[in-house]
Amino acid sequence: MNQEQATTGGYMVAAYLITAVILLGYFASLYRRGRR
Amino acid sequence: MTRGGLWISGLAMAGIAGVYWLALLGTPTERWQGLSQKILYIHAPAAWAALLAFGLVGVASAAYLFLRDIRLDTFAEASAEVGLAFSAIMLTTGPLWGRPVWGSWWEWEPRLTLTLLLVLLFVGYRALRNALDFPEDRARYSAVVGVMALVLVPFVHLSVYLFRTIHPQPVLLKPSAPSMPWEMLRTLLTSIGAFTLLYIGFVTARYGIGRRRQQEAG
Repeated sequence: MNQEQATTGGYMVAAYLITAVILLGYFASLYRRGRR
Repeated sequence: MTRGGLWISGLAMAGIAGVYWLALLGTPTERWQGLSQKILYIHAPAAWAALLAFGLVGVASAAYLFLRDIRLDTFAEASAEVGLAFSAIMLTTGPLWGRPVWGSWWEWEPRLTLTLLLVLLFVGYRALRNALDFPEDRARYSAVVGVMALVLVPFVHLSVYLFRTIHPQPVLLKPSAPSMPWEMLRTLLTSIGAFTLLYIGFVTARYGIGRRRQQEAG
């Protein structure tokens, strides 16, 4: 993997991780409010 | 209804895990943009889900102003909240794509500016809802704000045709054939399907929570 691939790969990983955190966080929020 | 919505959401989240696998391991890397092009497979479906959510707020708000059915207001409230969750994805993954491809995190160009305006409209929509105590007033005033989405959502989609913009043109929602090889199109379509199902799951669960709150309030 060259420098450019590592850089673009870093942005891609960040985007996928942030998406997972937002979706799981919102799901957890709905689950908590739904159980109350 | 809340429980059903959570089950649909769980199913859709499993679908999105499948999209991750498909995008990262089963889709070729684009020659010029490199790995950052794979951000498209979550950015575009999240943007689609956000615009769908806000568009349906507009439809439900307009219907509320005619029919005065409180369930339409509850749906609009649910869809607006879910739309903001998808907007958070759209507004974080977009700059993460723009930085390596455009060389900047953000550009004040028509598509991005109008999208930000739409999201801020719905931040205001939530603030308005929280500021009003009487359910009828809250429903009526927020429906007036929500109905603006019916104007803004098509405008956001068409902004790439109406103005000079550096945002990429639509790949799918356009009169001509999709401008993407099948291996990539398959991943994008799968992701759009998973995000649409997730919207249905989230909004069903949130609608159930809203209805229960109304019943508890009497």
